[in-house]
Amino acid sequence: MRLAFPLLLGSAVCLSIVGLAPQGKSQTYEGKQLVHAALVADTKAIVPGKSFTVGLLLRMAPGWHTYWKFSGDAGLPSEIKWNLPDGWKVGDIQWPIPLKTTDPGDIQTYGYQDEVLLMQEIIPPAKIDSSSVKLSAEANWLVCEKICIPGSASLQLELPTSTTSAPANTEMFARFRRLLPQDWPGAEVVKANWTRAGSDLRLSLTSATLANYPAADFFPLPPVNVVVGHPKIESRQGDEIAFRIPIESANKDLSSLRGLVVFAQHANGNDRAAWQIASPAVASAGFSTPARGVFTFLFFGFLGGIILNLMPCVLPVISLKIFGFIQHAGQSRQKILRSGLAFAAGIFAWFVGLALLLIVLKAAGREVTWGGFQFTNPYFVLFLSVVVLVFALNLFGVFEISLPQPATRGLLSWTASEGEAGSFFQGVFATVLATPCTAPFLGTALGFAFTQSPAIILSMFVAIAAGMSAPYLLLCAQPAWLRFLPKPGPWMVHVKQFMGFLLLATLLFLLYVLGAQRGLDGIIWASCFLLIVSVICWMKGAFFAPVASTRTRVIAALMMAVLLAASGVYFIGEKFAFAKISNAGSQLTGDWQAFTPERLQTELIQGHTVFVDFTAAWCLTCKFNEASVLESAAVREAFQRHGIIKLKADWTNGDPVITKLLQQFGRPGVPLYVLYRGKSEEPIVFPELLTKSIILDKLETMSRTVASH
Amino acid sequence: MKTKSIIAILTSLAATAVLAVDVPPVGSSAPDFSLTDAKGGTHSLSQYKGKYVVLEWFNPECPFVKKHYGSDNMQKLQQEYTGKGVVWLTIDSNAPGTEGNITLDQAQKIMASWKTKQTALLLDPESKVAKLYGAKNTPNMVVINREGKLIYEGAIDSKASPNPADIPSSTNYVKAALDESLAGKPVSNPTTKPYGCSVKYKSS
Repeated sequence: MRLAFPLLLGSAVCLSIVGLAPQGKSQTYEGKQLVHAALVADTKAIVPGKSFTVGLLLRMAPGWHTYWKFSGDAGLPSEIKWNLPDGWKVGDIQWPIPLKTTDPGDIQTYGYQDEVLLMQEIIPPAKIDSSSVKLSAEANWLVCEKICIPGSASLQLELPTSTTSAPANTEMFARFRRLLPQDWPGAEVVKANWTRAGSDLRLSLTSATLANYPAADFFPLPPVNVVVGHPKIESRQGDEIAFRIPIESANKDLSSLRGLVVFAQHANGNDRAAWQIASPAVASAGFSTPARGVFTFLFFGFLGGIILNLMPCVLPVISLKIFGFIQHAGQSRQKILRSGLAFAAGIFAWFVGLALLLIVLKAAGREVTWGGFQFTNPYFVLFLSVVVLVFALNLFGVFEISLPQPATRGLLSWTASEGEAGSFFQGVFATVLATPCTAPFLGTALGFAFTQSPAIILSMFVAIAAGMSAPYLLLCAQPAWLRFLPKPGPWMVHVKQFMGFLLLATLLFLLYVLGAQRGLDGIIWASCFLLIVSVICWMKGAFFAPVASTRTRVIAALMMAVLLAASGVYFIGEKFAFAKISNAGSQLTGDWQAFTPERLQTELIQGHTVFVDFTAAWCLTCKFNEASVLESAAVREAFQRHGIIKLKADWTNGDPVITKLLQQFGRPGVPLYVLYRGKSEEPIVFPELLTKSIILDKLETMSRTVASH
Repeated sequence: MKTKSIIAILTSLAATAVLAVDVPPVGSSAPDFSLTDAKGGTHSLSQYKGKYVVLEWFNPECPFVKKHYGSDNMQKLQQEYTGKGVVWLTIDSNAPGTEGNITLDQAQKIMASWKTKQTALLLDPESKVAKLYGAKNTPNMVVINREGKLIYEGAIDSKASPNPADIPSSTNYVKAALDESLAGKPVSNPTTKPYGCSVKYKSS
């Protein structure tokens, strides 16, 4: 009797808690309550800026169940659509480890019986004006026993705002948090290995921990386009266990799956625990290329090649070439055709050469990527600066380019006149300048090519070359169209000289890149060298002309060689080589922070959303996107409002860590824009040509509705 | 090169053998069957050789099936494709005593009141054909070509929900598979994950 009162009181308190807490809604069917749904929070009050957790509590009638985010052979995952005030953020649903049920006919489903709490983190803004806040959400679920009934409810949760908070519903949250899957542990706890066995995937695990649990299972989380069969334990012996997961859709390149490795004393036991095999470190090991056909990619390569013609870094050369066509317009059709073919041959030669180089380097196991592998090298940039300057001086008329060398003649045995050789090198030159502009289509195409066999890399580069030379070949094949071009005249001299300035503008860009790589000193010493190169060019024009006497020419040649060697040794070898950027973080402006993989991990663990801008000083597309989109007032404001951490990954000098990440995203170079929403979610990759609306829309939909999928 | 292709053939054969236990994969021959329809007649798959055949797993109690019949979506599909010479067989494989199992009489009533337009509504109370095709859901859709090969298996459309309002914005995979195949093109989405209720097999 003495015990009865406290017991009674205890149960009365329990009842009142149960009765009070969920002010939710009920789903009834034929007079019977199937599901009771309510929102509950783990706090009594909202503290501005401090995150808390809310949960959708679903209580099912005995025998009825709702589903996990992968429902299995039947059913549908529950959904929660939040309608939060502006500036509020909501995390992904944290799904407790489900129960696996097998119904007659070998129908396996993953779901919850009796009760489940689907938790989500909510981050309120730093400032809240009202004394209380009403959070509302639309919940949808499917509840099944022998039959399935869809249910839905508009739910509300009102909490006061305060400067302090106390925990609420602690027992319930603790109970369901214990059922959340854990992150994939380190290799000292479990080693995982994915292999492909015909149409099945095999996951082999070695773990002493797992050996302690008689019941082990794999719950798959397949992507939308993948249909999986029932995972089975293929073998289990001591510390080793192998799961076999049939893949019923034709995803030939699928090399791993997300999912849970679930273990317990008994299947579906309340002690069940799970490791989530989703970490990019595991999944990315077998990064698969998008399953698009080779021909699609070759087509994109071709299209990318055409677009290269419009890139700002090629435009000056294009003008040069069009100018050449104007000159040829009065000449014979054959000559025009040959000149065009030579130009195209130059383009092809460069790309094929590049492809061969790449294949060799790839074979040598080096980490090489597109564009950057030249532009991350300051000597390559310096070399290009010299070439651009020499061309500019040539256009200004400081000197004339003399007849091609005999060697070049030998190389182009099928061509005789300097015109074609000139065209050939113009073709080469145009493509050299095009490399840093990873045009949108080219990005996809090359990303694909880099994971492929040498034959495909080669054909990809040939496709790009074909695309880039297509407009010229077209003009050659239809010389009639050349008639639309203006007639030659004295104005051409002015145009030619003006184009010299365009090349000088290109030079400025290259110097800017050098500055980003080697600092102010680097620019100064490189400019000194360029000045001497200009003098050498002038000497070439003034003293090395064909009309000059042999003696003058010999002296001039000697002096030019001495000047070149001396300035090269001093300005480049002694000075430029040791110029270092004084402050590595000089690129960072405003609220951007330097990217490191550790930094990203830390931010994600803290539950922040992170935007990473993969960029480089020499990447014009990056600069354009940054100036017109990322630094625009609207986007800056949106990033701030959603509390997104902005990290800048600077690839100017070809940082190998960043190179590796780019490859994981299947990208050969920068720009790359990625939004990481949390540790377990797939990161969102934005297109290479950003617009404000792409960014703003994504941020908006992300914060408004975080529904299960 | 030669050994490589032999290995490839062997693995795919092995894979086919493994899968045949579960679901006959797309590209293989559709297993033959013979069932009674709502009017007492018999239909076998082999009698329709030379024609496209659609198999649709059915349960009049299932909200996902009701989604497509209540909105007239399924009837329209049935009418459109039977009009193009496609044979449309609706199959109820739910075991007696389970939700969705129907008698001859009930089947006729449903066909009349729902104004269904299929070639025949077949009764499979022993779930024989469902087992043969590894059908686990209602609706579960299968498309078979003129040569009797499976060319599509999976969901009716791209939005897994019981809500008819989602139909206009979803991609109908059956329509896509039939249209592509009738136009002589390969089916671009030959396997998808079906969604819906489970087929109610007899408890064993």
